[in-house]
This record gives sequence, C-alpha cells and structure tokens, in this order.
Amino acid sequence: MDIQFERVSYTYQMNTPFSYQALKDINMEIKTGEFVAVVGHTGSGKSTLLQHINGLLLPTEGQVQVGNFRLSRDNKRQDLKKLREKVGVVFQYPEHQLFEETVERDISFGLKNFQVPAEETQARIASALEKVHLSDDVLQKSPFELSGGQMRRVAIAGVLAMNPEVLILDEPTAGLDPKGQHDIMNMFYDLHKTKNMTTILVTHQMNHALNYADHIFVLADGRVHMKGAPEQIFSQVESLEEANLDMPDILSLMNQINQKFGTDLCYKRQKPDELAKEIVEQLRENKPL
Amino acid sequence: MKSFMIIGQYVPGNSLIHRLDPRTKLIVIFTFVIIVFFANNSWSYGWLTLFALILVLLTRLRIGYILKGITPVWFLIFFTFILHLIITKEGSVLIEIAGFTIHEGGVLQGLTISLRFFLLVLVTSLLTLTTSPMEITDAIEALLGPLKKIKVPVHELALMMSISLRFIPTLLDETEKISKAQASRGVDLRTGSIKDRIYAIVPLLVPLFISAFKRAEELAMAMEARGYRGSEGRTKLRKLQFKSLDFMAMIIYVSIIIIFFSLRN
Repeated sequence: MDIQFERVSYTYQMNTPFSYQALKDINMEIKTGEFVAVVGHTGSGKSTLLQHINGLLLPTEGQVQVGNFRLSRDNKRQDLKKLREKVGVVFQYPEHQLFEETVERDISFGLKNFQVPAEETQARIASALEKVHLSDDVLQKSPFELSGGQMRRVAIAGVLAMNPEVLILDEPTAGLDPKGQHDIMNMFYDLHKTKNMTTILVTHQMNHALNYADHIFVLADGRVHMKGAPEQIFSQVESLEEANLDMPDILSLMNQINQKFGTDLCYKRQKPDELAKEIVEQLRENKPL
Repeated sequence: MKSFMIIGQYVPGNSLIHRLDPRTKLIVIFTFVIIVFFANNSWSYGWLTLFALILVLLTRLRIGYILKGITPVWFLIFFTFILHLIITKEGSVLIEIAGFTIHEGGVLQGLTISLRFFLLVLVTSLLTLTTSPMEITDAIEALLGPLKKIKVPVHELALMMSISLRFIPTLLDETEKISKAQASRGVDLRTGSIKDRIYAIVPLLVPLFISAFKRAEELAMAMEARGYRGSEGRTKLRKLQFKSLDFMAMIIYVSIIIIFFSLRN
C-alpha cells in the first residue's frame, strides 16, 4: 500500500483558546515495501503524523491517501476498520494496552474484532508468537505476570497477528535496555525484509534511523524539515542542528576523528570493524613520519 | 473527546477576575448561588442577570467560548423550561393544542426557573474558568481551616482534591491513548448494539485502572521520599493574601446585594 500525504495540516482543539496546529502543510510519499524513519524533536508532530495513516485522526486540511483509502475532512463516512486491519500500529509503550486474562486471548483480541475465522486464529497466534520470539508456554499466563520486555513482545504479537501490510512503530524501543532495543529493532527489520512489510518507524534514536531506514523524514515544528536517504540527511550537520537533532554515534565519531587527525572518512554503511580498518589505513597514509 | 471537556476548564489570563483572591471568588460565588433563589420579581432577576453579564465581560474571555463551555447544560435548561410550560396550570390559558394547555403562569414559571438555572451555571463556570484548580483547593482549605479545631482533616481532604484534579487531564490523555491503541486493534466504540459497545469499554477500563493504581503507588512513594508527613508543620508555597482589589470587590458585591434586596417585593 502506497501512502501519500498531500498538503496535510492538523489542528488540535480547533476553535478553542487551546487550539494548536501540530502539522503544517505536510507532503510526503511512502512506497510499498519501504522502511521509513520519521525523526524529530519532542513536539515536532511525529505522533500526530502517524495517527493519520490509519485514520485515528483525519486531517483538518489536505488529504492522506493510503492504498485505496482517501482520508480527508469531508470524507468521514467510510469503513476505517478495513483500513485499520491493514495498517498495524505499535504505540509507544504498547504493553499499556494489554487487558485480557491470558496472553492467548489478548493476542486474539484484534483477530476477533476483525472477524478472522476461528480456524485461522490458532495458526495466526502461533506465527505471531514465533515472530516476537516467545515460546508457547506464555499463552496461558496472565500478561500481567510477565516481565516488562515480555509484555511488550506480547503486545507487539497482538498487532502482528493481524497480518498488517503496513506496520507503524511509535518509539518501539522506549524504556528498553540496549540489548532489548537491539533485539526488537532486528526483529522488525527481519519482518520488513522477509514479508516486504512497509514499515514506518517514529523515533528520536538517530542510530536506529541510520541503521534501518531506506528513507528519512525529519520533522521540525510540524513541517517536513528534510527528507532523503540516511547518508544524505546526516551529512547536513547544520540543518540537523536546526531541528534540534543529534548525529548518530558512528557519524559523530567519524566527524571527530576527521577533525582531529585530518582524515577523510566518509560514511557508506560500514560495519564497526570495517570502519576500524579504514581508520587505521587512513592514519597510516596520513601520518607525516 | 477532549473538545467536550471544556465545561469550566481553566483559561489562564490576567483580567480583574483572574487576579482576585480565590477565596473572594469562592465566597462571592457561594453566596450568589444562594441569593439567586431569593429573586422574586423581574427587577431582581434583571439586576442579577446584569451582575452576571458584567462578571462575564470582566473575565475578558470570549463569550462564545463560555457559552459553548456550558453546552451540556443547555439541554437541561431547555428541558426545565418545557416541563414548567406543560405542568404549571396557573393564570389564563394562552394556547391549547390537542388537550395540552399552556398557561400564562407556566410561561412565566418556565422562564424564571430556566433563567435561575442559567445564572447558576454561568457564574459557577466563571469560577473554574478563571481560577486554576490549585488555587481553588487552596482557597477551600483556607476557608475550611476553622474546622480543623473539631478534628476535620481539612488538609488531607484538600490534598486529595488537588491530586484528583491534577490527574484528570493525565487520565484523560491516558484514556485517549489506550482507546486509540484499541481502535487500531479494531475496537469500534461508535457503532454496534448497546451490548457490543458496553463490551468494547472493557479493553479501555482494565488498562486505565491498572495504570491509575500504578500511578497512585508511585506518587505515594515519591511523596514519602520527599518527606511528606501530612499537614503537621507544613508551610505553604503559595500564600493567599487579600489585596485592595479584593476589598473593593467585596464592598461592591455587598452593595450589589443590598440593592438586590431592596428590589425584591
């Protein structure tokens, strides 16, 4: 499903003293099968933007096209449920949405709502569990007796069980330890690669944006501040600073080395060990012995 | 859903009314609520209405916004009017439709009761529109202070009140977040039979309660960690202080009441 934003603006609490324009004239395009990162400072409109993709919010101006669905202000009466079955959203701290007595019932909650036939349910649950790397024995447990990381996986499984075509991730790694973050991000990346799932990652972790995304949109103050491939985006240091964003660790390391030793390192998706070799080579060449 | 929740939601400002001491406002509004019931002719009603309208103007808030804020109450006011219109059988008959008669007394009664109702709601909503919840609880605590002598836990009650007020927006936010998450999993609160809709609330309530309990526990812990021991020996960060503005307001208000009582029959 292709996603297209055309001149989208969104204002919260229109016509009250509290009205607040969160999105201003957004234009963007996301192609089927892409892995896109939306980055921006707190309050830049990231979360508002993603809620437009499955019709939780309708634009106050402009329109959003998701596959065959055309979402706009004067197009309210349509079957958003169909859209929501195809666009899965993993919200920030998704474990807060767990409520059922057992893990199994919580995962099947979405399936029931979307009227997935009962024969199919078991298979869907099993495959969702496998995707999030949980074993079958959690199925009969209460979600509230699991650890935080496991709860998050269960909640994610609940979204994946719907077999969405588009997966939206709102800071999926918030509050996890570094290893947990790494595992979860790799899991989403695998899903994206193996199922060709269109993935939209909302994050303020530049490392994740650099490592996983094909395309990055930088939001600042409700507008699209920059867009392009990660290498392109992160080469424009000043523009990033304007949006109050950091550099990914690997790039800021390279910049510092370049400044200090007058080397000429440039980022082309090297792995850490490859980069280490490159640094050594360059230092050898440059060293005025 | 939030747009419905503006009944008397505090709008920061710097008008005369905003600057009054919250205790002054509480006293005025509390007595006004009682006094409205003493009005008994068009002069006294007119006088109170004028007073209320001047108050509204003094807040410098958009009138449309204030009226929209009491939207849910419009229905009640209208309903009261209709009820009195039909039930009161006094005075001469004005109209007769299909066995129902509308009497002169009914129209009058309906108008006065709805006006009374309207004034009550309007003026009390002005209090919450111009006073932050914190100020209101401080004022209540101060005004109820004397009750401490007879061992009423005034401070604790005020604290409970301010905590619950403080958490209303937080819980509303939380509700909205959870309902969005569940909507993304296919819950539909807007359509379906009544039974379906009631069942659809469960996925909302369970997570909400869990998080509310967690928050309560964390808050209690954080308060204890910062040495909270109840009211004993506790000083105030915001000390309430009557200013000349308050004395003036009080004098004007008392004279308004005296004029009001002379206008009654």
